[in-house]
Amino acid sequence: MNTLAVVITTPPYSPLTATAVNYVETALEAGIKLVGVFFYQDGAMHANEHISIATDEYQAIFHWQRLQQKYSVPLHVCATAAEKRGVILGELTDEVVNKSFTVSGLGELVELTSKASRLVQF
Amino acid sequence: MHSQAQNTLPNTSKKVNNEAGLAIINSKAPYSSHYGKDALDVALIFGSYEQKVSLFFQGDGVHQLIAKQDTSLLSIKDYLKTFAAFEFYDIEHVYACQQSLLTRKLEPSFHITDVQVLSTTEFSAALNHINMYCGFKT
Repeated sequence: MNTLAVVITTPPYSPLTATAVNYVETALEAGIKLVGVFFYQDGAMHANEHISIATDEYQAIFHWQRLQQKYSVPLHVCATAAEKRGVILGELTDEVVNKSFTVSGLGELVELTSKASRLVQF
Repeated sequence: MHSQAQNTLPNTSKKVNNEAGLAIINSKAPYSSHYGKDALDVALIFGSYEQKVSLFFQGDGVHQLIAKQDTSLLSIKDYLKTFAAFEFYDIEHVYACQQSLLTRKLEPSFHITDVQVLSTTEFSAALNHINMYCGFKT
């Protein structure tokens, strides 16, 4: 069985987001086991519930949520990268981090790559 | 962005099926962005989990290896000093692109030992050998 891990290092307003979501969804539909998506660097911004993107642009968080609900895709956001970008705010964290995301350490990236036969970065 | 899927292992396996480990590609100069520092953090975490990791420096990324840089005027912590810990983390494969050094008229005088300067062909061959990579570049 082919296994896939995905790393997102670009922000939610990047045009790469749509490509990433399409890629992930196509892989899942093709029966590829997705071990998880790891959001690092500016990618940590994807987890911010309060990011508001103009309605005529790609709605990143909506699509991640949709994939998470439909396929139970593990979405891990790097804690350090998220803190640096105000996504983790102490007691307010639950209000900032979208519920589809899990706050994880960089060690999770090691886990994902060790379980995957392929790593794709957007 | 990444190469051959050659896996038949069950997804529950913790066994590393990528023997060559992870390649980290650095193409950014050290202090004008966080790319280099973020790449370093990934390298060290892989090292501390005893996963193989190789570092590739190309383009402006070769500046990260050059000795005698002074960040005191920039109010930036000099993360390059941490490169000295590579040995401790068993990070043994550090490659610099010769052509990138030549283009920038940089002498191969590095602040860490054991940097291997590779020709373009050798550099891409070394990279090709690795199944998984993560890029810190634009």
